[in-house]
Parts: sequence; C-alpha cells; structure tokens
Amino acid sequence: MSEALGRVVATERKPNTPHEFHFWTAIDSPVGIGTIVRVDGAQPVDGHIPHIYGIVVEGFSYTDLQTPMHDVMGHDGSPTTAGFAATERAEIRLYTAAVLRQIPEEPLQPVPMGQVYLAEEADVQVALRMDSYLREGANTGIPIGVYRAGGTDAVIYLDADFLLGPEAAHLNITGVSGLATKTSAVEWLLASLFKHFPDEKGSIAAVCFNVKGPDLCYLDQPGKIEQSDEALYEKLGVEPKPFESVEYYAPYTAKGHALNTFRNNEALLDNVTPLTWGLREVLQFAEVLLNKDDVDAKADALIDFITMNVVDKEFTDPMLQKKHTVQSFADLDAWFRDVLQGMEKKDGESWRTHHVATIRKVRNRLSNISTRCAGLVTDSGTVSDLPFGSFADRTVYVVDVANLEEDAQDLIFARIVSKLREHLERRDLGVKHLVVFVDELNKYAPGDGADTYVRKMLLDIAERGRYLGLVLFGAQQFRSQVHRRVVGNSGTGLFGRMDPDELATPGYAVLSPATRTKLATLEKGQLMIRHPHFTQPIFVRFPRPAVMQGREGSERYPQAGEVSLEAAVLRALRPLDSTITLPWIQEITALYTEEEVIRARNATLLARPENVKAYFASQFRKAIPTQAAPRPMAGSIRSVPENDPYGF
Amino acid sequence: MLASNSGPDIASRAALRSLMQRLPGMSTVEGGGFVEPVISSDPPSLRSAQIVEGTALRAIRIPNLSAETGSQFGAFLDGAQRVQVVGHHQGMPVVFGTVSAAVRARVDRRMITWGHQPPKVERRIFLPLRYLPELKVLGDASGGLSQSQWQIVDTSTADKNGDYPSQHPAVLLERAVRAVDQEREKLEDQLAEAWCARGEAPLYIDGGISRSGPVASSTYAVGVIKSHRTLYVEDDALRIVLGLDKGERSSVFRVSPRSRNSVMSWYLRLRDAKGHDPMWGLVRVEVAESNRPSERADEISTWVMAETSPLSLPDGRWDKMAYGVRDCEEFLRAIS
Repeated sequence: MSEALGRVVATERKPNTPHEFHFWTAIDSPVGIGTIVRVDGAQPVDGHIPHIYGIVVEGFSYTDLQTPMHDVMGHDGSPTTAGFAATERAEIRLYTAAVLRQIPEEPLQPVPMGQVYLAEEADVQVALRMDSYLREGANTGIPIGVYRAGGTDAVIYLDADFLLGPEAAHLNITGVSGLATKTSAVEWLLASLFKHFPDEKGSIAAVCFNVKGPDLCYLDQPGKIEQSDEALYEKLGVEPKPFESVEYYAPYTAKGHALNTFRNNEALLDNVTPLTWGLREVLQFAEVLLNKDDVDAKADALIDFITMNVVDKEFTDPMLQKKHTVQSFADLDAWFRDVLQGMEKKDGESWRTHHVATIRKVRNRLSNISTRCAGLVTDSGTVSDLPFGSFADRTVYVVDVANLEEDAQDLIFARIVSKLREHLERRDLGVKHLVVFVDELNKYAPGDGADTYVRKMLLDIAERGRYLGLVLFGAQQFRSQVHRRVVGNSGTGLFGRMDPDELATPGYAVLSPATRTKLATLEKGQLMIRHPHFTQPIFVRFPRPAVMQGREGSERYPQAGEVSLEAAVLRALRPLDSTITLPWIQEITALYTEEEVIRARNATLLARPENVKAYFASQFRKAIPTQAAPRPMAGSIRSVPENDPYGF
Repeated sequence: MLASNSGPDIASRAALRSLMQRLPGMSTVEGGGFVEPVISSDPPSLRSAQIVEGTALRAIRIPNLSAETGSQFGAFLDGAQRVQVVGHHQGMPVVFGTVSAAVRARVDRRMITWGHQPPKVERRIFLPLRYLPELKVLGDASGGLSQSQWQIVDTSTADKNGDYPSQHPAVLLERAVRAVDQEREKLEDQLAEAWCARGEAPLYIDGGISRSGPVASSTYAVGVIKSHRTLYVEDDALRIVLGLDKGERSSVFRVSPRSRNSVMSWYLRLRDAKGHDPMWGLVRVEVAESNRPSERADEISTWVMAETSPLSLPDGRWDKMAYGVRDCEEFLRAIS
C-alpha cells in the first residue's frame, strides 16, 4: 500500500457530507484538481472499514498570515527582501473532494476522518464503478483515455452499453475550435470502438459528416505519432494505425467536372464515390429545402400529387399535349410547362383542384432546387448513393459536405440520416450499430431559432436512436447553445478546452470554480469526461489519432482545382481503368455536349463495368460524323458545233 | 511560553468524570475558565550585573546588519501550559493542568518537528489532598484516572519549612499554577538538553537558559527573553538600554541568579521603539560563557535580528517574538 498523502479534516464551519469532504496534504504532494483519492476510514461501520473514493474539485492554500498588511510590514514594503526571511510561513494545502463512491454503499454516511491515499489503478476502477462492466466474460469497456496523477496511470473505460445503447447512448463533445480536440477525440474514440467493441454485440460502422475543413479527409492515411502517444496506445490496447476501411462520398462541383471535396487529389480518389441524387430522392425531402412560407398546405398537396402520380410514372391528361414520364428535373420542368400551357389555353384558373398560382410557385421552388444543389442533384436522375443495405463492419463512411451550400448540406444530412434510420428499423443496413458523427451542432441543432427539419431529425436520433442502434456523436463549440434535448440525451459528454464565456453559462454551474478553471486551460489531448457510471467528471489524456491530420493531408495531397471536362472525366475513370488516357477521352467526347459527357461519366462510375472504355463509349448516342457533301462533278461543257451561229 | 485557552478535550472530560466518581460531592465548574500563568509576586526591579565587555555598559551597533543577513538557528524551543479550575469540593479548587514543549527544527526554511525527541505533552490533576476526603479507589473500569495519563499532584504539601499552605482557595490555586509552571520548565529543559547534547545547530529558546547546567553551558543554546520584570541595569545603564535604537545592543554582562547557572547576557533592540513604550522590541539574550563576548554577542544578535521576519503577528508580543517561536506555540496549541 502506498503512503498516505493527506488526512481528512472537518470543522463545524466546513463539515464533511456524504457527497463532499476536505483533506490536507503536504505542500509537495502530487494532488491537484481532478486527482482521484481514497480515504480509509478509521472506525468500522457494520463491521467494515469504510473506503471512500473522491475526486479533488477544489483546492485552497493559505498561511498563518492574518492580513496581507502584516507581510508588507514584515518586509518593510519591499518584496525583494521577502526572500531573505529565515523562515517560510506555515502554509496549508487544503483540498475539497467530491465523493465518487463509498464502500459499503449503505448506510450512506458523511465521510469519516481518516488517511487519504492516492488512488491506484484498481482504486480508480472501483471509484468509477468500472468494475461492474470490466468483468471477465462480460467486458463492455471501451478505452477512452488514461487518467494520470502522481504516478498512477489508469485506463478509463466507457461502458459500450451506455455509449452505443441500449442502456443509454450518444456522445457529445464540446470545446473551443482550433485545438484539434473535438475531431481528434472522435477519431481516437472510433479507433478504440472498432478495436474494443465486443464481438458478441455485433457489427459497427460510422458515418461521419465532414462539415468543415479537411480534418476527416485522410482517415485512411497514417499520421505522425510521438513516442508519448505510442505509450498511450499501448496502454489503451489500440494499434496506432489509420482506419483500415474508409469510404468517402462527395457530390460534384456546380460545374459537374470534379468532386467537390478536399479529397479530390488524384492519388486518393480510389475510395471516393460521387454522391448524386435525382428527382425522386430529392422530392422525398423537399421539405428540407422549402421553408414553411413556401410550402403551405396547397403547395404540399401538389408536391404530394407529383410524388405519387407523376414521378416515375406514365402520366396522361386530356389537357396535356403529350404523355409524360418524369424521371428528372428536366422532365419535371417539361411537365410543368405542359400543364401551365394547357391551363392558359383553357383559360382556367385551376387544374385538378390545384390553383395556377400554386402550380407556378411549386414549379419555381422545385426547379430552383437543382440550381441550389448543383453537383448533388442531377437533372438526369442519375443516383450514386451510400451503400445502404451493405454497410460493412468497422468501416467509416465519410460524407464530405464541407464545400457545399447550406441547402445542399441540409438535404444530404436529412436524406442520409433518414435512410440510415429506415434501414436500421428494418435491420437491413448491413451493420447492427451505426455511429453518426455530426460537428457544428450549434448550427444544425441550435437551442433557439427555427425548427428545421434537420434539427427535428437530430432530436429524433437523440431521443429514439439508441433503440435502433443509431448513435449520435455530436460536437460543437458552445454546448449551451445546442438544443437541450440533444445534449441532454447524450449519455456521455466530452469536454476539451472551453471558452471562459461558455463556462460562465448556467449549464456549468455544477462544476466547481477550480474545475471550470482547469477546463479553460486544458492542453491538447486532454478531456473531461462525464459518463453515466461516473458520479463526477474525470480528466483523461487521449493519444493523438494515428491518422493524417487535415493540415498535413491538404499539404501532401493538395486539392485539385477545377479542370477541363476531359481532364475531370479522365480523373474519374482512371481509378477504374488505368489505361485510359486524355487523348482517348478527347476523341470519344469530341462530338458531344458537356451534359452528355457528364451523364456518360456518371453512368460509368455508377456501373463500374469490367470494360470501362467500352461502357463509357456506349453511353453516347450514335452520331454520324458530318461528311462533306460530295462535290458534284462539273459537267463537261458541251462543245459548240462548229456551225453554231451563236457560238463563240 | 503559551497559555492556551482552547476548550477541554475528550481526555479531560473523561478524567473529570472519573474524578467525580472518586471524589463524591465534588461540584464541577460549568465552562470552567483558564487560569493565567502566575506573575511573580516579586515587584519589578532593577539589579546590577557584572559587565564582561568593556568597563561600562554602552550601546553598540551590530555590524554588517542588513536585510540579507542570515540566521544560523537550526531550531526553536518553546513550552506551553494550560491550567483550568474544573471543580470544587467544599470550596477547595480542583485544577487540571496540561504542559507541553516542542522543538521545531527548520529545514529548507520550513518548520518541522524535531525528529530525535518527540514533542512532550503531560497532564496533571492538582488537588489539595490534605483538605479533601480520601479518594475512593476505583476498579479498572474507572476510565481516564486509572490510567497513568493523569497523575495527581498534591498542592497541599508542606513547604521546606514544614509549613502547610492555608486553605484559602486562592493560595491553593496559586500553588497549582506554580506547579504547572515547574512541570513545563522541566519539559523545556529536557528538550533543550537533548538538543544541546546532539550539537547540530544553535537552538533558539524562548526564555532563559540558566535553569539547566548543560543548557547554560552549551554553545548551541541561545535564550531570548521577552519580559523584563527584572532589568539587569541601573542608573545610566538603564537609560542606555531603554534608549537603544533598532539594531543596537548593550554591552555584554553576566547574569548569575541564585540557584541557577551563570550566563552571559545583553539587551538587543529588534524594532524601532519610536511611538511605543521603552520596552517595545527589546529582548535580552542569554548565552553560555564565552571568552570572546563581543564577537559572540554580535554574531548572535545578527541571528536574532534576522528572526524578526516574518512577523509573528497576530500575536500581541510580535515586537519581540520570533516567528519560529510562534510556530512552536501554534504547534503546541494543536497537539495539547
């Protein structure tokens, strides 16, 4: 047993309670804010010596000086002579600790007087109730970091049942931007989850929405790991290597030539898949893009009518000039045009109960979508999507929406999460558990502001996702400004370095001033954790993720700029067939419009055929090369009879 | 020396209960107050002393005195006592006394308890047995009194002339307080002798050093006396001593009290007395005889001056008290 480092003290003014106690230590003791200690009571209770585990939440230091004036007088007002005093004043280090656990747990009594010891690794497990889920044969612990204090290095585990459900679920990370805490913590935690998530609990995958910067764009590339991190990895039982299976999805740029992602360097395109949707996919989520002022009950009825009766069906109407089979935005626009022309001809104000003004408004709003979400929504109706139904175990699916307009981000987010939910409900996603990582919850699930579709969906995940295996890992800079039910339903909370203004908000009032101060000064790689099993927040260190960081990745693999159409097609098809060359592309596409070339490329990428060249070429309509008309042979001039009197 | 005024502890209460069993009819004093140490019944006096530095007493400025001047004291010694009238039996006072003493050593400028001799704490019950009925004998279950922790001291024994004290409660109380004084001095002397025997570093003793022969002759003991009921100067010498400026000392003289040991001594002004009474910041230092009195007095005066920082406030005697002595008193207050 280690030596005692302190003694419990209590006075009438500062008594101990069942949830808090005070102790003093030597001046040079390794105790600090966040240190876990164990108190061994002196008197048995019900025949057992009580052991109390606590975490230091406040510290006090003072001397026997009654007033600062005495010190001034003692040194004649000269601070420099203070150092010459023969004796240092008697000084105390007094700490307040919040109780983590008492053993025995009943009767729950005020903390008794006793010796205070630094908690060792076994003590930490007991103190945080980790012993209940680290049992042999029923181990659901997921290492989150290492608790360090005074020579004690103890691995802190989260309970998978409380991180991914079914008991509790969801995780929320908060911290100031720019300290590589939020994203790094999620990358590390996913690595730990993939390694330690119990096999008997089934498969697990993650969908990460990259909403800003390139940080999530190099998860499959190795990063720089320092020696201290390697030691942490070893302690935590995770190999320091990048994710083995990562798939990237990104829509095209508005021009449609290149993928709109930080990861569009040619060297990294092999696992980047275009994300493109057609009319049907978008119409299901029209609500995301149309605000409530646009979509009143009448407009909603018309959109429903179109979805049910027009899209992907042969539509005829006596008023219309022709049959319509609407499969794309272009088809839809043609349909609208026909309807409106028919109404003008009839000079009617309504068609099938829909007023002409409503029809015009809906046409205007829907047609606008393909412009607002250019690159994602295709006029042609080509769909390239996440592999719903065949998600793979221990795979990270990154959807890069960082460079997209807000509308497109919302649409992508809403549709993908809805699809994930549908598949998980049907148990046919491909994996049993899915983590969805969304950064910037301040933007997507704000505490105030409009009740958007995205926010409603995040609330739905937060409140019901754990029953489906759909788990939200959310991050934001200001937790206080995220919807209360989103953060409130997060069983686990991680806190990196915090902004002092944020810490001044009421949500942090439960933390002691010293803990708040520590939170405001946390180093990179340090976190404060709240978890259902921990009765108090715990500070841990986690290793730097073993993946390439965004800044390094964007320097090593610079983002490709907007290129010519032919070069873009080459870049897209070369990962499928390395023999394809630019001259070949130019030759094949020379006679066709940009729209046709893009359609052919998208179709090829979607089909991933054996013979890429042949498939790509087959996508173009037959066009007979224009040939110069044969020049008519000039007829020979008849010879003028010699006897022709008019001949010359 | 500290006269503590903290309340009775658990051991005292247990002893009181036990005593009440042995002395039926005893009445307790509710919230019994503490008795201040007895001030000598002798009136304040001036006494001549033999000058050993020069021929006449004079004021001497201590050389090379500055804020950077260090102190060689390695430890501080002080004692404490607590006297409480806890009850009466037919008017006869029943007194509890606790005495303690400790050496606090200085290591890296911080005070710690000297490891070679633990602090001493002793408790006594002072009873005028001659004027009380015989104490009942109790069994082992009698509690505190049956244990050796609380010895009973008779305050009604005959003096060296064979005279018994009067039954006047004040006389008996005074006898008890004097007995407590002596117990404390005994503890202090034991610790001082132990320190001097090891001879590690000079010891700053709160009070005189002449009681104990080994201490009075040790070069490791320095006594610093704060009270001046007896001034060892007369006439012009008195004016010189009372007129000492800060950082000045008197010439060294010899103090040879009756029944005590002869030591060298001098007065030293620790703080500027302007605006205060003449005794403000005035201490008398006692050291063992030396054949280099001037050098010794200068050297030790330098150390004593260095001990004026940090201040020992809020103690009312802070003008004369070294911080190390205050530390001893605080320590003894905590343990006794």
